[in-house]
Amino acid sequence: MAVETTAPEARARSAAPGPNKPRARRYLAPLLMPAIILLAILSIYPLVWLIYMSFQTVSLAPGAPNEFVGLDNWRHLFSDPQYWSGWKILAKYSGVSMVLEVGLGTLLAIVLNRSRHEKLLITILLMPMMMAPVVAGLLWQYLYNGTFGWYFWILRSLGLLDGGTILGSSSHALWAIAAVDVWEWTPLVALIVLSGLKLVPQDQMEASWMDGAGSVKSFFQVALPSIKGSLLIAILLRFMDNIRIIDHFIALTGGGPANTTKILPLYLYEQSFSFFELGYGAAIALTLLLVTILFGKLVVGRFEERELKPAQKDEELV
Amino acid sequence: MADTRTTERVVPDDDEIVVATTINSRDQVVRSRGRGSRIAGIATSGFLAVYVFWTLVPFYIMITSSLKDAGDAFTLPAEGDWGGALSKLFVFKPTFKHYSDLFTQIDFGRYMTNSITAALGSAAISVIFGTTAAYAISRGRFRGKGDLYFWIISTRMAPVVAVTVPLYAIFKNLSLLNTIPGLILAYTVFNLPFAIWILKGFFDSVSYEIEEAYMVDGHSRWQALWKILPLVAPGLAAVVVLCILLAWNDFIFAAVMGGEAAKTLPVATQGLKSSSGIEWGQIMAAGVVTVAPMLLLGIVIRKYMVQGLTMGAVKQ
Repeated sequence: MAVETTAPEARARSAAPGPNKPRARRYLAPLLMPAIILLAILSIYPLVWLIYMSFQTVSLAPGAPNEFVGLDNWRHLFSDPQYWSGWKILAKYSGVSMVLEVGLGTLLAIVLNRSRHEKLLITILLMPMMMAPVVAGLLWQYLYNGTFGWYFWILRSLGLLDGGTILGSSSHALWAIAAVDVWEWTPLVALIVLSGLKLVPQDQMEASWMDGAGSVKSFFQVALPSIKGSLLIAILLRFMDNIRIIDHFIALTGGGPANTTKILPLYLYEQSFSFFELGYGAAIALTLLLVTILFGKLVVGRFEERELKPAQKDEELV
Repeated sequence: MADTRTTERVVPDDDEIVVATTINSRDQVVRSRGRGSRIAGIATSGFLAVYVFWTLVPFYIMITSSLKDAGDAFTLPAEGDWGGALSKLFVFKPTFKHYSDLFTQIDFGRYMTNSITAALGSAAISVIFGTTAAYAISRGRFRGKGDLYFWIISTRMAPVVAVTVPLYAIFKNLSLLNTIPGLILAYTVFNLPFAIWILKGFFDSVSYEIEEAYMVDGHSRWQALWKILPLVAPGLAAVVVLCILLAWNDFIFAAVMGGEAAKTLPVATQGLKSSSGIEWGQIMAAGVVTVAPMLLLGIVIRKYMVQGLTMGAVKQ
């Protein structure tokens, strides 16, 4: 790895190359390599394994050889209706929880930005995010429970729920899980949007208000363009986490009733670690990884864009 | 308006100078808009109150349920009997039976030790390797740096289950299944890239001139890194805590690869469900045991939590 000289802006300012000029290139590689090697062992090596496994029937008996099956796993994948329905459920779930989280989160951010107790409120709002997702899932399973659950009782008492339990109903279960996601992660969206709102030029906001535009109108005219970047980051991060974390699903429904909550990562989990079809699991995992990497490209792009801009916005603030 | 800002600058409110000005100027705007703004103010407070209520109710029910003995305390009032509901929610005789059961009848002490070891081990590895790598990426300019950086980040974003599939097969061959070192390595898959990502941001904000002058004096790159380490101390603290949080809250890795020998608290909590009928009081107690340490940690270092949870998108 060719490591060259460093820190462009610092170098530009002190351009005179003295005799004792530190030669950066020699020292950076030893700093970088340990982490890179460790990460390569933990990510590239498994990736190669994953690709290899997707062409095998993986045997779990000790010493038993894997069997090469060519494209069988891949053929199975494309003709497996549960695989495609896993994508559909994932899209439905992500779509609904995203709309709710972005809507509520933006509202929350605006309100927080006007509040005098911002710090205290943020501390409270952070609390659900600290909770292990599987514990959150169990807690909400209890709240939804048809015999002991308070939320079940409230919904029944308000007449919002016909017979049957919440998680046992194929029309309600997925939205019930989405509610848990909204409960736990809306504050995350709010915090990201709040950081964007803080960069909105106040003068413009005031000018817009003085001109008689309502606060809703000012929001769309002045604030929204400035927080667009933050919103996009929030959406991308949430979407990636919806693919990454399936603990809520495992705790709440395990995919039921009648597979209506079996999002793709959960299907992968079941195939790999309930039925131990690791070869088929590897094929599913590779397709999931591919989509994640594409989204990752988008996320990183947004972050880099954001890194370049805030300085200029800060100046407008002062 | 300009005056307000100057005073705010002279008397900085903790670390959030900009925030203070923002709130201040916004309040003034609100005040100048009269009756309509008062309605907006009430709506704002109302919304906040409802939202805080919705956030906290599950916590309240979790904690109170963990203190209720089985039987009557868990039955619900008749549908629509709101008065009965209130008394059920607030009036009960607290017992610590569920908590003591967890540690005497079930092996929760050991599961907690497992959780602590795995979380601390992975945090230590991640912060040590992450610091040197983040420093090198921040200061270095080399071909393929963008690609290298993207590879690191995309590792952090990979779906947990997708990573578990090959790791399970590999760990099985290496006899790392059902061991704490195996879990530590598994958590490092996500924690190390995360540490690099967050720490690079911190190093970027430290001026290069400090080290440059130091190195001109004949010190090595390692010594220079050591020298500026105090300047990124908040970043190091944030990374350690967030790595602990991620490892502590993990379920999939520990459930698949931990087995009984390396069972962690979230897996043990979920495991209570399947064993002979569901004892909700006990599960809620286990939930409190799992969640409480992270809540305390989160409140203590709220500022860095925000930054870390948003992957550095929010800097405070």
